[in-house]
Amino acid sequence: MRSVAPRLVIWLGAFALAAYLGIRFHVFAPTLGIWLAAIATLAIYSILYRENVVFRLFEHIFIGLAAGYSLYTVVVQVLIPKWFTPLFKEGCWYWIFAFLVGTMFYSVYSKRWSWMNRVAVGFFMGLSAGLGIVGFVTGLAPQLMASFKPLWAQRPPYVEFNNVVFFITLVTVMSYFFFSFEQRHPAVRGSARLGRWLLMIAFGAIFGNTVMARMSLLIDRLQFLLLQWLQVFGKG
Amino acid sequence: MKLDWQFWSRRLIWLALAIATAVFLLVKVHARMYVSRPALDLYRAVEAVPPDKIIVISCNWEMGTYGENGPQTEALIRQCLKLGKRFAIFGWTWPPGPMLGQQIAERLQRPYHRRYGRDWVNWGFNTGGSPMIRGWAKNIPGTIKEDIFHKPIMSYPVMKGVNTARDVGLIIDITPSNTLITWIEFVYGIYRTPIGYACTGVMAPEAFPYYDAHQIVGVLKGLAGAAEYEQLLGYRGDALKRMPAQSSAHALIIALIVLGNVIYLRARRRGQAPGARLTTT
Repeated sequence: MRSVAPRLVIWLGAFALAAYLGIRFHVFAPTLGIWLAAIATLAIYSILYRENVVFRLFEHIFIGLAAGYSLYTVVVQVLIPKWFTPLFKEGCWYWIFAFLVGTMFYSVYSKRWSWMNRVAVGFFMGLSAGLGIVGFVTGLAPQLMASFKPLWAQRPPYVEFNNVVFFITLVTVMSYFFFSFEQRHPAVRGSARLGRWLLMIAFGAIFGNTVMARMSLLIDRLQFLLLQWLQVFGKG
Repeated sequence: MKLDWQFWSRRLIWLALAIATAVFLLVKVHARMYVSRPALDLYRAVEAVPPDKIIVISCNWEMGTYGENGPQTEALIRQCLKLGKRFAIFGWTWPPGPMLGQQIAERLQRPYHRRYGRDWVNWGFNTGGSPMIRGWAKNIPGTIKEDIFHKPIMSYPVMKGVNTARDVGLIIDITPSNTLITWIEFVYGIYRTPIGYACTGVMAPEAFPYYDAHQIVGVLKGLAGAAEYEQLLGYRGDALKRMPAQSSAHALIIALIVLGNVIYLRARRRGQAPGARLTTT
């Protein structure tokens, strides 16, 4: 065991140095990148067979990479140019308040100071509520207006048909969501039932789109494995 | 030895899907797309942006959805480069988004003789969500400050005359997330800046109420939307190359759904499946 350890360290060191030099001087950067991406893709797809250690390892690598990259980007592209530089280099002293309010969130870990966290959360809740009202007026009001569609005398005729389908769907689906009273009357019951069927059709369409999206991601990876990686494999 | 059908059936479906898609990736089939109205509207909206205004390409995506958002970003950037529309890459949801947009734009700019800083710029990533977008709409240089190379954005010729959301001719949100609503509520709703949407297939159904209410000018729906755009641009990119494989996968899934239902109904008739009529003796 003793004799293996130094050799392993030397081999790993040599490999790391070769990899660094190769990437630094663009010797095998594209090939190495493609190989790493292919190994990572296959490791993640190994879950399709069954749960395994390789999948777990690469899953954790991905989470770590994503978290690390996000932290780096936020520090380099947001905190330094938009907070650190104005505060310490441009004399904008009032940016210290951003730090103080931000720090208040972490007081949740102390029983004594946790009230400060509530102040900060309350401030942002008020901000979100205010923005939410603006959002309702500017975002949803135009949709309410757009739901009033003319049902006849439209050209071309398919617009008229579309508007009728839209109107029936809107009314029947809304009647399905009347939960304030029991739906006893046959007209309301029939309308609610039709609304439920139309909702099912909508859910089917949404699910179809989801399948399409997932297939697109699979095809992207397969294209990479077959056309980029295996081509390299063939050349090597 | 008895085959564990419950275990292997799912694996066989994965294998069949992989084969069905791989065959159509290796065999060259020229797909021709029917261009939908929302994609055509977005294409025309980009064409209609006047030269004194900038286009914002909001890269709110990351590697997980490269398969859909990648070809969309490529097609949209290609159109801007081809038509000489100045544009800015920007992201505020997924940190890698602007960097991925940068890679695509750098790769595409050479054949069109475009240059960073003169024809396009990358504002990088910004945090802050809705309040930041509200501030951005009022004061773009004050909110963005620097590009990804840490230079003041107003030092670039491409930024000439770009100060508020009123100086933006079109915002195209490329995303798998629900970021569209922020653009609509705080930019279109207040400044009437046109918004376009390029989303993953999962998000597409949610976009159509906004399109119907004319709050967005057009929609690119997943990989199919990117393929439609490639056809409008007249080049055969990744999206058009992948569409035969996509159709083949869809056909296989439909066949498997039908097969699954037939097997289920037969089992139900024999009383071996959930939902079967119980017979009492």
